[in-house]
Amino acid sequence: MDGTSDVGVDHATLLGTFAESALATAAEPLGASRARLMEAIGEAGMIDAAAVIAGFNGITRIADATGIPLEVPKAEQTAGLRATLGIDRFLEAKS
Amino acid sequence: MIDIRSDMAEAQAEAWRRIGHCGTWWSGLQRVEIAAETRRAATCALCAARRTALSPAAVAGTHDTSSSLLPAAVEAVHRIRMDSGRLGIGWYEHLQAGGLSDAHYVELLSIVAIVVAVDTFRAASGLPMLPLPVPVAGEPSRRRPAGAKPGLAWMPTLAPEDRSPEDPDLYRDSPGPRERGGGNVHHALSLVPQSMIHWWDMFETMYLPAPAMRDFSREYRAISHAQIEFLAARVAAINQCVY
Repeated sequence: MDGTSDVGVDHATLLGTFAESALATAAEPLGASRARLMEAIGEAGMIDAAAVIAGFNGITRIADATGIPLEVPKAEQTAGLRATLGIDRFLEAKS
Repeated sequence: MIDIRSDMAEAQAEAWRRIGHCGTWWSGLQRVEIAAETRRAATCALCAARRTALSPAAVAGTHDTSSSLLPAAVEAVHRIRMDSGRLGIGWYEHLQAGGLSDAHYVELLSIVAIVVAVDTFRAASGLPMLPLPVPVAGEPSRRRPAGAKPGLAWMPTLAPEDRSPEDPDLYRDSPGPRERGGGNVHHALSLVPQSMIHWWDMFETMYLPAPAMRDFSREYRAISHAQIEFLAARVAAINQCVY
């Protein structure tokens, strides 16, 4: 299984598990998910995946800690999707 | 030995080194203290209790710290590091009432984000943590951009059109066309232009510069645009980021 899954992204399952392991939210240990991802996409791919995960672990903090809003066109385009996924409920948890 | 892209390795090394240098509002020593505090937050008992609480404000106590930073600065570092998805403007205003200025806060945030990103990258890649940067003596410039205006974020921001010749090229207008500023998140750290540059110079090597992000005619990394955006969305969801 290549883990492409129904989102149509190559190796999505492996990438998702790697992200969850890196952020300590997965049951699988980080070393194991890293090894499985490297076997599938190579070392350079794993490094670039680690970089994206790490970079967004930083920039999500910048966005959330400044109260910066989503651009109006993007908010309008994604309103239905955000409602379906329940993303807007995150706003209720802010204090 | 793992082989890291040279542009990213150099950008991370430079970002790490610059933490130890004097900033716009904090000294080099204070900036290294902020970096140390960012790591310490991961084992803070109060932060752990708050993370599992329905409301973090319901859990009283003091953070595990040994720094000389202002208590409001310690609170800012720990919450941003450990529970950023539940931060709100009320919390931010409380920090200001505790003596942490908007500009000090923005520079502190840039350091926390860089430490989080570099530490996460090294752990994910199986690399050892870097030792804290060496503090370098110097005096903060305390220069606030004259064109910064309130409205977009909790704190004033400097829009590209309000930048003066005295401000650094934080939006990469030169040589043109402008490379930064297309998204609101580009403006987030603009109250302290050097902090914004500090973050984005590193982040763009870990993700993509804006022109490459929009260029689907080729791939710039060893993973595809689709894989990159999939990972970005996954991390944002895990961190409960609504941006």
